[in-house]
Amino acid sequence: MKDIVSLFFAYAKSGIKTRFQYKLDSVVSSFAVFFREAAGIIAMYFALLKFDTINNWNINELMFLFSLIFITYGIFIVFFMALRDFSDWIKHGDIDRVMVRPRGILTQLVLCGADWLASLGHGTLGITLFILSANNVGVEWNAATILYYVISIASGVLIQGAVFLFFSAISIYFIETQSLKEIMYWNLRKFAGYPISIYNKFIQSLLIFVVPFAFVNYFPAQFLLRKPDMSTYPEWFMYISPFVGIILYIIAYFFWKFSMRYYKSTGN
Amino acid sequence: MSKTIIDVQNISKIFKITKRKTGFKGALANIFHPEHEYKKAVNDISFNIKEGEMVGFIGPNGAGKSTTVKMLSGILYPDSGNINISGYIPHKQRKEYVANIGVVFGQKSQISWDLSPLDSYEVIKHIYKIPDKKYKENIERFTELLDMRKFINQPVRQLSLGQRMRADIAAALLHSPKIVFFDEPTIGIDVVGKEKIRSFIKTLNKTDNITMIFTTHDMQDIEKTCERLIIIDDGKKLYDGSLDAIKSNYVSSRIIEAEFEQLPEKIDIPYVTVSDVDKNRMKKVITFDTGKTSINSLMSTLLNNYSIKDISVKEPEIDAIISDIYQGKIIVH
Repeated sequence: MKDIVSLFFAYAKSGIKTRFQYKLDSVVSSFAVFFREAAGIIAMYFALLKFDTINNWNINELMFLFSLIFITYGIFIVFFMALRDFSDWIKHGDIDRVMVRPRGILTQLVLCGADWLASLGHGTLGITLFILSANNVGVEWNAATILYYVISIASGVLIQGAVFLFFSAISIYFIETQSLKEIMYWNLRKFAGYPISIYNKFIQSLLIFVVPFAFVNYFPAQFLLRKPDMSTYPEWFMYISPFVGIILYIIAYFFWKFSMRYYKSTGN
Repeated sequence: MSKTIIDVQNISKIFKITKRKTGFKGALANIFHPEHEYKKAVNDISFNIKEGEMVGFIGPNGAGKSTTVKMLSGILYPDSGNINISGYIPHKQRKEYVANIGVVFGQKSQISWDLSPLDSYEVIKHIYKIPDKKYKENIERFTELLDMRKFINQPVRQLSLGQRMRADIAAALLHSPKIVFFDEPTIGIDVVGKEKIRSFIKTLNKTDNITMIFTTHDMQDIEKTCERLIIIDDGKKLYDGSLDAIKSNYVSSRIIEAEFEQLPEKIDIPYVTVSDVDKNRMKKVITFDTGKTSINSLMSTLLNNYSIKDISVKEPEIDAIISDIYQGKIIVH
């Protein structure tokens, strides 16, 4: 374990050094990520000045819901960048390089790919939203709620990791999976910022059963906030929520490992 | 006799290739009725390599060299056959196995474009868990041998291709592997750069007794480094033996180039063909077969009967021989 941590820091050091080869671009890209994502939140804020609530969720509660998306994504891109861009790795034959090194393939991919600056952008936004909302949403922060919150964050990171692990496995067969990722991840992520109860049944099922963003933010937030729209879903969804990540990740891991057998290195 | 370190038995690898049809209709057909064809990239190849040997793999593009090297380095599963290297089955015990090997891809860099070689080496040190002392010694030694002092702290993007390649080779050797695979290490590099790489590889093979496998298109690479040669074409092994043996066993024709002082009368020697090189017909190329004509008698015949300004015996061009082998003009076994 100690050894894995030291490898992680060695990668991190070289990754950050790489980014600082282009100092201006690095600083700008962090800000760009922050403002691009914040713009969506600001638009929502102004909309709510007119409507007051969305399905009984007020602005603070919505910010709390959003904060989970950004915080988990901020951590996600520290560990799962390489999986997010796995089809490029395959296209360029970079997997070969990983395979001739005496570490687990996934271990190397998870440790090496961090996009620290984008992470800073997303993370800062997530934490800002959390700080602005955490004390105004009626949650009593005690050991139990904090523990639930922390595990939910970890689970949310793993859910997204599992989704991309799954996409990566598919790109072993099909190489290019950009449109699949576009539809199944990026578009659904836009829906997931809001309480899923506002959508029709089809989108709700996608967000619960197919790409389970609902377990990244909606159900964990429901556990803490108990909004009335929770009554439409089985109550146990809130309780299993912290475990969804690890379970999905294990399933995706085995599928990925099985698929790697079919890896065909691109020829010279 | 040193012991066998690489044992390859009857390996094959088949790739499934989707046939691409063109046009709109074809594109639709690709999606709904993809047609596949199966290509035997490697077809029942066997060989043994002894510890400390240096073996060159050659073959035309698409012959199966890279696929073979990828199977040997644990990247690809063979569809059939067995590989045993130093007691490991590469694709099954990948992690343990690759700690013992180094791989240099001529076309894929191991080191980061935006960092200096030294920065990349730091990461490699952690990946392979190289002890500090050994790491320092190796860096010191390779910097010296590969003449890297000038650029070891410069970002790789500023290096020439030859410098980058040397930095890459050092990267693959930092953990002191027992076996090293070089996949086209001299591709695109100028003559001086190639020479530096060859002499380094040769030195290391001698001093450290590292087993080396070398794929290339450049016959000079093979002539200058490898004693043993494996020729692969169309997925099959065509030849396995020394380079000299090809020259002496399979190519019996030799060439003498002679420049005459005055225009000779018709040169008439049995089994010997003569042709002109230049317009004034003073230079001639004389081709003969070592099986039928001895070089001594031919030379003395020429020197005694004609006044000759300059004469030289040419070694057979290895490139020409290899291309004859690919085209089936020379059958080797």
